Amino acid sequence: MYRQGDVLIVPVAEDAVPTRAEDAQGEPRDGRGRLVLALGEVTGHAHAVTGPGRLFRDAGPSGPMLLHLPEGGRVVHEEHARIPLPKGWYRVVRQREYIPGAVRIVAD
Amino acid sequence: MQYIDTWRAVAAATGPADRAAAEEGVGLAYRTAGLTEPERFVWVGSPKAAVTAVRSLRDAGRSVRDEVRTVPWAEERRRVHDALGPTGWAELWGRSGALLWDTTRALAERIRTGVADALAEEAARTGADPDAADAERKSARMVLLDAVLGQHDAAWLAAFDGRSDRLAGLARVARHAGWWWPFEKAVVICERPVELHRDEAGRLDRGDGPALAFPDGFALHAWRGMPVPAEFLSGLASLTPERIRTEENAELRRVMLEFYGYDRYLAESGARPVHRDGTGVLWRIPLADDEDVTMVEVVNSTPEPDGTHKTYWLRVPPETRTAREGVAWTFGLDAEAYAPVRQT
Repeated sequence: MYRQGDVLIVPVAEDAVPTRAEDAQGEPRDGRGRLVLALGEVTGHAHAVTGPGRLFRDAGPSGPMLLHLPEGGRVVHEEHARIPLPKGWYRVVRQREYIPGAVRIVAD
Repeated sequence: MQYIDTWRAVAAATGPADRAAAEEGVGLAYRTAGLTEPERFVWVGSPKAAVTAVRSLRDAGRSVRDEVRTVPWAEERRRVHDALGPTGWAELWGRSGALLWDTTRALAERIRTGVADALAEEAARTGADPDAADAERKSARMVLLDAVLGQHDAAWLAAFDGRSDRLAGLARVARHAGWWWPFEKAVVICERPVELHRDEAGRLDRGDGPALAFPDGFALHAWRGMPVPAEFLSGLASLTPERIRTEENAELRRVMLEFYGYDRYLAESGARPVHRDGTGVLWRIPLADDEDVTMVEVVNSTPEPDGTHKTYWLRVPPETRTAREGVAWTFGLDAEAYAPVRQT
């Protein structure tokens, strides 16, 4: 697994990928042709993946996401060093924080 | 994606309305609905002032919100849904409206609650009847729920952008004004906020003034999404660990701790780390009549431009026993499962 700031990218075995993800159209790329894993609401800084592939959002803007990189790729961010990712499927997890009675997403 | 960025900006826009453009949009929405354009516009400085203005309208005729907004929207939704199929519709919504829905809906609801509370408070101050405040709160909510949300309808307008001329009037108003109330002969229409401050997660957030303010002075104060009284914020600058310890309201104490800084509080209250391992340091602050504040201290792997590494604190569940367990929890994992091979 790989971690860039508040985003964790966890390899998923091919046979554990839900079939609906195989068929889904996937998220559109941003203006720079990247797949955006997480976008800062105010700074506009993004954890994003370059290279061929598909990002599939299962539920909600911050919900579980699956990433397919058939040829590998790399994850970039304005403030973090880039990380090369081998080809395969990944689960993308946003960092969260505990607050009594609730849980909230962390944004860096 | 370009639609989303545009509509994200519309939802968060501040500053004076373009009244001429907004009134043109209203006129277009009326004509599209087969109605005669309204005779007059009543511009107000906030949704709070709008409630008063709507109540004092005379000879305005009935509300035409259904014809102007609800029916065209529902029919366009059905048309696009039929054209794309359920999966296609879900995908369209997922990459357009859904991305703005949570933050704009939360903001609109905060405004409704804030307006209803402010009017209820005024009723309690001036009315002799003890039930006056509750009655006023309910009555104000009914008026607020009748608004067309203008800029805060951005989520669903984003989903239809480029797909429907029928909603062009509504979209034009949204680009240039705040909430509005359509009646047969008159429209009450609201200016946009002059101040809007949110954190990275989109929650209202400001430590030294109102997080949301309208030109007539109606304002909401909040720290990282949590509503706080205006006077509370002015006291934050002079906080002490003792003041934090003795605050009885657990939520306000949490705001104080965050504002003061966990690191500073830990240093000044003489706290000791509970556990330390390769992932970070676990700290605990016991609080009277409340669960412990348990935090992991983590060092950012990427150096700052000056070569130092930024340290940050994340609150984790109070039963956390090790730093690794805490960091793993922030990603929804067990301590054993958390093992990044590379981090930046």
